[in-house]
Amino acid sequence: MTVSLPQFLQAHRDEMLAEWLAEWSSSSAVGLAATSSTAQTRHVMQTLFDEILSQLMVAPQDPPPGLDEHAPLCKHLRHLAAEQARHPEVATDPMRMMFSLRHLLLRHVSTWIREAGTTPVAEHLVQVNRYFDQIALFVFNNIINLRDRHISEQSLSLMELSTPVLRLWHRILLLPLVGIIDTGRARQVTDHLLEAIARHEARVTVIDLTGVPIIDTSVAQHIMKTIDAARLLGSRVVLTGISPEGAQTLTKLGIRFGDVICRATLRAGIAEALLIIGKRITAMEDQAR
Amino acid sequence: MRIPILRLDRILLVSIQEDLTDDEAMQFQSDLVNRVAEVEALGVAVDITALDVVDSYMARVINDTASMVRLLGAEVVICGIQPFVAMTLIEMGRDLIGADCAFNLEQGLEMLRARIVHRGDTRFTGDEDD
Repeated sequence: MTVSLPQFLQAHRDEMLAEWLAEWSSSSAVGLAATSSTAQTRHVMQTLFDEILSQLMVAPQDPPPGLDEHAPLCKHLRHLAAEQARHPEVATDPMRMMFSLRHLLLRHVSTWIREAGTTPVAEHLVQVNRYFDQIALFVFNNIINLRDRHISEQSLSLMELSTPVLRLWHRILLLPLVGIIDTGRARQVTDHLLEAIARHEARVTVIDLTGVPIIDTSVAQHIMKTIDAARLLGSRVVLTGISPEGAQTLTKLGIRFGDVICRATLRAGIAEALLIIGKRITAMEDQAR
Repeated sequence: MRIPILRLDRILLVSIQEDLTDDEAMQFQSDLVNRVAEVEALGVAVDITALDVVDSYMARVINDTASMVRLLGAEVVICGIQPFVAMTLIEMGRDLIGADCAFNLEQGLEMLRARIVHRGDTRFTGDEDD
């Protein structure tokens, strides 16, 4: 007598699940099995298994129905992806878990086909494959999204770190720019600087570009805006640390910094700033050297 | 031919003798900016006494070079523009040469020195460590 595929799968459910769990825990000495507690992983796997199995119980459709975003299955897959994102060293684990289940299911469906001898046989295999393709894509998408979110959070915190406005001397501020300057950062830098100029009533601001690797049109425009804004508040700006390559690029792009004071080194820039406020650094004459 | 860059303490002297091709101009500019950065030059005098004709391209090359040098924190003076050249430049357009100009090299150097004296980084009194 022949049994239908759902009946067959139902009958072998416990056997398959045990097989999958055994295969997984023996194959992964490290990874998800090690990072999260084993009981928890077992629970997740069991739920996933039941969800996937119940999807396969329905008759094959062409094209197969898409994954329902709000189904419990997707919730579990998302959890799996999140788990993975916290442990980047086992990046392939969720996929490996899914693929091992697919392998297992394909094996059992093949057995069923052999026993039942029904035709067409390919339909069921194709359905299992397609279904797992969808799952793989879903998990992959989730991992990428989580990663992206991590990266943008990190760049945000990096931005906070990298825009200090230093009080160099009475009425002299120093703004050392380090790293890539994009629109968002430029605006933040300008905000910080203007606020500091107003607070300290700075007469001179030294902007040091030694740490800016690439100076292009947009960077130059951002810097120009910052300088103009500082000027409006009544602070002179001294620009230091432009590299020879930077100078050539800026000129070839047709960008003119006009009457901004430029100095080769931060040291020369500080000297200029001191001159503007009428101070100078001299040797201590009464001190034996 | 590479244009020689002469050094007079922390002032650099260059003399352009003939029209430059694109490649020569690029080479000249990168040589000069690198030299300015290397010796931390305070001033650059560009002498063009030998040029009888300055077209808009050469004017732009000279202008660009001056802007580059200024971005690196050095003063620039263009020396020795011939009367005829000055006339054609004015006829071509007002701001073709944006940098300051001097009659000859001697006056150019004087001008540079006068300006350098008023800079902050040359006003220290012998207590510098280098």
